[in-house]
Amino acid sequence: MTEPTAVTSPGTIPPAADESVNSTSQSGIRAMWESWTNRVFTMREDRFFLFLAVLIGILSGLAVVCFRIAIEWTQIELLGSSISPTFPRVILAPTLAGFAVALLVIYAFPRARGSGVNQTKSAVYVSNGYIPFNTVVGKFITCALAIGSGQSLGPEDPSLQMGAGIASLIGRRLRLSQEKVRLIAPVGAAAGLAAAFNAPISAVLFVLEEVIGTWSAGVLGAIVLAAISSVVTMRAFLGAESMFRVPPFRVAKPADLLAYVALGVVGGLASLVFLKWLAYARPRMQSLPRWTQHFQPAAAGLLIGIIGIRLPQVMGAGYPIIDQAMHGQFTWKLLLVLAALKILATGISFLSGTPGGMFAPSLFIGAMLGGAVGAIEQHFFPALPGTVGTFALVGMGTFFAGFLRVPITSVFMVIEVSGNYTAILPVMISSLIAYGISRSYVKVPLFDLLARQDGLVLPSVEEQREQMILTVEDAMRVDAALVLERTDSVADALKRLEGKEGLLSFLRLRPGEWNFIERSELRRLAADTSQSHTVEEINSKGPLPFVFRDMSLEEALHWAGDWPALPVLSRADLSKLEGVVTLDDILKAFRKVPVR
Amino acid sequence: MSSSANTVAMGEKRPRIYSREAVLFGCIVFLVLFVLFTAAASRMYHKTIHVLADNWFDQGEVSFRAGDIKSALTDYRNALVYSPDNAKFQFHLAQALAAAGRGDEGRSYLLNLLSESPGSGEVNLALARIAAHKVLTADALRYYHGAIYGEWDNDPIAMRWQVRRELAEYLLDRGLQRQAVPEIIALADSTPASDTEQLRIVGNLLLKAKLWTRALDVFRTLLAVNASDEAPLLGAATSAFNLGRYSAALDYFDKLPEKDRTAPGIAEMYKTSQQITEMNPFLPDLSREAKARKAATAVSLAATRLQQCATQVGQSLTATPSQTQLQKAFAESKEFTPDENWRNIAKHPEAVDEIMGHAFEMENAAAAACGEPEGADRALWLFGRSRGVSAQ
Repeated sequence: MTEPTAVTSPGTIPPAADESVNSTSQSGIRAMWESWTNRVFTMREDRFFLFLAVLIGILSGLAVVCFRIAIEWTQIELLGSSISPTFPRVILAPTLAGFAVALLVIYAFPRARGSGVNQTKSAVYVSNGYIPFNTVVGKFITCALAIGSGQSLGPEDPSLQMGAGIASLIGRRLRLSQEKVRLIAPVGAAAGLAAAFNAPISAVLFVLEEVIGTWSAGVLGAIVLAAISSVVTMRAFLGAESMFRVPPFRVAKPADLLAYVALGVVGGLASLVFLKWLAYARPRMQSLPRWTQHFQPAAAGLLIGIIGIRLPQVMGAGYPIIDQAMHGQFTWKLLLVLAALKILATGISFLSGTPGGMFAPSLFIGAMLGGAVGAIEQHFFPALPGTVGTFALVGMGTFFAGFLRVPITSVFMVIEVSGNYTAILPVMISSLIAYGISRSYVKVPLFDLLARQDGLVLPSVEEQREQMILTVEDAMRVDAALVLERTDSVADALKRLEGKEGLLSFLRLRPGEWNFIERSELRRLAADTSQSHTVEEINSKGPLPFVFRDMSLEEALHWAGDWPALPVLSRADLSKLEGVVTLDDILKAFRKVPVR
Repeated sequence: MSSSANTVAMGEKRPRIYSREAVLFGCIVFLVLFVLFTAAASRMYHKTIHVLADNWFDQGEVSFRAGDIKSALTDYRNALVYSPDNAKFQFHLAQALAAAGRGDEGRSYLLNLLSESPGSGEVNLALARIAAHKVLTADALRYYHGAIYGEWDNDPIAMRWQVRRELAEYLLDRGLQRQAVPEIIALADSTPASDTEQLRIVGNLLLKAKLWTRALDVFRTLLAVNASDEAPLLGAATSAFNLGRYSAALDYFDKLPEKDRTAPGIAEMYKTSQQITEMNPFLPDLSREAKARKAATAVSLAATRLQQCATQVGQSLTATPSQTQLQKAFAESKEFTPDENWRNIAKHPEAVDEIMGHAFEMENAAAAACGEPEGADRALWLFGRSRGVSAQ
């Protein structure tokens, strides 16, 4: 054994000339590594999960950077660098690329089909968080080819699935518990989406609303951490600028907000049309013979190419076009035409089974509709505040809320992609209107609808929102109890109960301590006429667990079976009885709620 | 931490089992390699898009200079696709849009740029031009002032001077004389005496704004450099004429070439200056007789004009008591007329002032009743005004 020669600081490499020193340093590095891994693996599992969230965030951010670069390069190579591609390219690129994508999806990456949101959600709820890495590779290649060649789809949903796939792989390889593997996929999904959108808050909200489908705080910390790490990574390579630049504006008076009501109505109706069309056409497209799947993306590419000859703006994700619309570059007529054609083109691309997302197209459609509504309104009411760009920005959130049914995400998304807080009130108003219209006529949100068409029933936040939460107040009875004190005489108590068969008796011992008195007990003691008895002498049941009127009925149910009745007390005064609730009351209340 | 092996989903091929340390080490190695790969790809990507952006922008510049605005717009837009935050590209696109008559669209880009750099002189100027084109005067004034007091990358003093000149011209064109005057005065004050080109422009603006004294000063400065320069001579003559300095005006007019003196608008001023000089009895070096003759001629001219005017308006000059201005002027002149032949005046040279005063009063009364006179009467009337006898 050689003697240790010197104390080296961590990471310092000793001179190579001395072999003994070298071997010492190697063992030092090994020791350091072991010490570090020991520290990592002996962390509490929740802390280790947070560490993994950061790792997943960085990897997802890197993947999204490469994905965006791949899309751009594909676009430049296939369509040229101009926003108006030349004639042969505009037809050939999407058609041939569509055919190649179809072959890749059918023979190499069958799970890459679709937008990616539903696939991730079903991975969480059906496959225990399992997403094969092959899907990530397939999604990357096929989406880059499809979007880069001009198919009317976006890169955000695929980024979400890629992030989830990376997370799933890491979770499996680290042999996390099944529960953690299931939870880690949404963490990656948030990271992927955040990097694609450069919008961490919206990504977190969307994943909670759409992928997890429940407002659970269990993985919130990890999701937020992953989203932030991925955005930081993405910004390090692609810059921190907001996606869109909107000239500043202000809403001068509340009446100005009325201008956005019309936008909410138009956005809601447009999202309704798009949703209905997809819901109607998708099963029919899927019922076509299997061999047609080889040609569906190519046919979609050809149709989009034909549209692109005259209006190349509808091709691809369309972010530069949204930017132009925000700067008032198009007339309202052209904006309306672009919105209509984008709905058509996106529907064609999506229904053909071409992999790609719906986020960017829905933002495009919303921006065009918003711009058109703004231009028309300003034509008739020139004093209206805000520019066409403002309406385009608000329109994005409006259509997004109506089409994808994620109203909270849409509000934050608009703020994040524009860096403009002033739009929050208009977006809230118009998004809620669009959401309301869409929900009134299409009961199931888009991604749930698609899942159900594929034979899956997945949970959704919207369903949760619609669920009626019953509270004690819904079941309790007031004026159904007689409150007795220790010193009350039994005879007097019986007299007060006379003729009131449903009345229950409670003994108030002290604030928060209540007992139940059976009527039979009162009668038994009253039969002894040898002396005067007080209520205190009765063998009462208690102390009773008490409830408050705002508590959920599920909570009350825990105790209701064990006691004849539960006192409902005032939160401000535990000696005050507000009502009474029994097991029967609770069951009756549950039965009243219509079953979904 | 549990190490359950049941994470494998149904149907999945059982993966090879590695220790967690190995997996974590593999992740970190992969992360480092991935970062390096992404950095290289990103570098290449940024290089490509910068080249593309610059190429499209250069192409746009060529098209714009060639007057092909439509192609320039497409080229600038292509450039912005690859460099969406490039302020220069946005600015040029906005200018091209404004040049294509699509000021509203250009305005949107400019407002965006302005929100990022509110002190930019260039952006303010472009916005001011769009507002001026749309005759939104309040906006135009605001943006022009923003440009004047804004930041300029190259030669800020010259740029500010040019912007103020543009603003002054815009205001004068819109007939907003009151707003234009302070701008023109500020422009004149900021113009160096050695810059003849700028002085020439300032002089013309002062003329347009009818700031005659300042204009005359500017033209005199220019004439000090080149006494035979026609434009300053004409400017000085016009200024002097409007200031009532007819002798000086005549001097400047006389130095002008014949063709300039006979130009429309100038010829009348020149002739009037000549007439006033001829009838001016207050010129130095005049003999007593010459002064008397000029005074007598002036009174006679004014009396004739008074008579003609009275006939024109149907008034009797001899009515007593005198009620109208014409009658009063006539009555006053009657008191004096017996002695108004030039020989009598020559005997009393101290009366020339008073006699000329009567002549001016008569012209003023006639002008008030019958409108501005013409010819010699106009010359006498203007002469009177320059001597401080205002019209009634």
